[in-house]
Amino acid sequence: MSAPQRLARAPVGIAVVGTGAFAREHLLALAALPDASVRWVVGHDLVRATALAALVPGARATTDLDDALSDDAVSAVDVVTATPDHARDTIAAGRAGKHVQVEKPAALSLEQLDAMVAATEGSGTTLVVGQTVRFQPAVAALARAAHGGEIGSPRLTHISWYTGHAWPGGWRGWQLDPELSGGHPVHNGTHIVDAAVWLLGDEPVEVFTRGLRTFSPEMESPDSFHIQLRTASGALATLELCYALRRRGELLRRMVLVGTEGTLTHTTSEEDDLHSDAATAPPASVDGALRTQVAHWLDVVRGDAPQIVTTPQVRTALATALAAQRSLRSGRRERVADVPGYAGAPAGAPA
Amino acid sequence: MTALRVAFASGVRHAADYLALLAADHRVEIAGVVEERTAGDRAVQDSRAVADRAGVPFGVVDDVTSVAGALGSPIDLVVVCAEPTRHARLAAALLDAGLDVVVDKPVATTLADADHLVAVAARTGRTCAVVNRTHSPALRRLRAWVDAGHVGLPRHLDLEFFASGAHFATSVERPELVVDRKLSGGGEMLNFLGYCADAALYLTGLRPIEVHAFSGALFLDSHRAAGVEDTAVVTLELERGVTATITLGRVPFAPGGTPTTSSIRLLGSHGHAVADDDAPAVSRFGAAGRTTIADDAGQVAAAAYLRHVVDAVLAGERPDYGIGEARATLAVIDAAYRSTEAGDVVAVRQDTVQQNASVHQDEEERV
Repeated sequence: MSAPQRLARAPVGIAVVGTGAFAREHLLALAALPDASVRWVVGHDLVRATALAALVPGARATTDLDDALSDDAVSAVDVVTATPDHARDTIAAGRAGKHVQVEKPAALSLEQLDAMVAATEGSGTTLVVGQTVRFQPAVAALARAAHGGEIGSPRLTHISWYTGHAWPGGWRGWQLDPELSGGHPVHNGTHIVDAAVWLLGDEPVEVFTRGLRTFSPEMESPDSFHIQLRTASGALATLELCYALRRRGELLRRMVLVGTEGTLTHTTSEEDDLHSDAATAPPASVDGALRTQVAHWLDVVRGDAPQIVTTPQVRTALATALAAQRSLRSGRRERVADVPGYAGAPAGAPA
Repeated sequence: MTALRVAFASGVRHAADYLALLAADHRVEIAGVVEERTAGDRAVQDSRAVADRAGVPFGVVDDVTSVAGALGSPIDLVVVCAEPTRHARLAAALLDAGLDVVVDKPVATTLADADHLVAVAARTGRTCAVVNRTHSPALRRLRAWVDAGHVGLPRHLDLEFFASGAHFATSVERPELVVDRKLSGGGEMLNFLGYCADAALYLTGLRPIEVHAFSGALFLDSHRAAGVEDTAVVTLELERGVTATITLGRVPFAPGGTPTTSSIRLLGSHGHAVADDDAPAVSRFGAAGRTTIADDAGQVAAAAYLRHVVDAVLAGERPDYGIGEARATLAVIDAAYRSTEAGDVVAVRQDTVQQNASVHQDEEERV
């Protein structure tokens, strides 16, 4: 949808929950959309919430989520808190009749996710999970080609995704604690697992994972890992994620999707690098994804677009990532069906 | 200069390529091709065709160790290039006859056969070279980068090897040489995994400890009908906690400009590096869209290795890749097949396997 079209529509009232670095990115992306009206920034630290609210004219800061949820002008809530808080905030927003966008990974367990879906979709609102990668220009183009039948049936994918250390906070960073993040296969693995589920259009049934601690053997969660999986129809995948390239901001990503009638590939190594001693700009194949994602979310809230990321797909990807985390710990092949809550729970075609 | 007199014991599959590469070496004299009388009409026919195209003598023999007599020439080195299931037996016989050999890959289709060859080569003191791709310029360049310390300690390797199914009818002489287990010994893991395992061991110098593999016949009817895999995803744990993934297959359209395409991404403690067998390449734009002009990486690597073997044999030295290295790689392949059967991670067999033990305990249960 174009900017003039967006301008012509009544703005969607939004509350952003969270005051971390990614909440800031969300606010900046929302501030650039003429049909978004951020009314609240909610965080337990009022100083930080106030600072973030100042980024968006008209937004107010609060430490009480109920302030935002009781505002009738708020119809949508953007949950950008740490993963352990996603379920609490999403369920509260859903029960207040709000549409929700929640950052990935949506939850730490299928039980949590199912409760989040019930509180939103079960009550007639929507739940969009922020799988930003799907909105990256190159990934979106690759998926359009695959889903458009240009390579027949996708049967094999090989995704290698390497970047520099991306977590702030040193040893205090919550992302390093598997109890809080779900472990690396869940926390960031959700990106590649979701991509594989989406591109293959099939449900993984078995996974095997190995981890690697590049920087420090004392890390509880390996900075790098790989997952290999088989889907219900027998399709295969190698998924690699490394957060340990030497330079922060560096990105080397390569995607190969092999179908029965052709093969699609994309690699960032073919792109010109914008790089200085101070910073590295995202490659063009990645750039602008968050803004596209939040614009799509507003379209979903209005009922103008079907969800690109559906909750059955999210459930499949989360179950697979949880199985991968189990494999990381056990050192064995794991069945996705053995993830607590998976068997007999809400099913849905992942494609 | 002394010529190295080279004969071929069987001339199927890649033999025509190897013969052409060796014949182009001015130090080599191709004495001819022999084929076993019991090998069957197709093998005899293929071997004769290779000899005829090269304009060298051809003989059908009861025993390949009579190669010199059959071709009427003293022989210094024999290239064993038969169906994979015949490789180990032919090579062992020739080594026992006091001849140096270079064997096409896979050198054997069972770990026990590979261990037997290790023992025969040690007992006879002869050279048992095995065709491989470790002389690939891209791989050598990456190894030099590692050795120079530019990436610190290698921690992980991401290896990919694809062949185009579109080339299936032309890249091998007969498809059954790849999919018929009686001839090939297995599917594409046996055919291609060795290249990737070789690269992992060559770059790291570490022993493989554990292997996990998923495989399937995802694309090609020929493989599905024969009950062998066309695709596999494999992960290795090497010593010192180093890991490697391998994604391989004969797929309809490999993502490269030549019949096979392979690349490696190496993650080190202090940096990373990439090796791509498709580079260097030139892009050509025309009615067919974008096409690539690049050397066939398999040919380039084979040429370099065969040149190295000739160097070594003439100098009375051992080639840098022989039955010991090939055995280590076959142990990874063996473990990959056992993993697919067990449905879990398995240990790599480091101990010697006796010859009545098969890589695949029951070939009928495979894949």
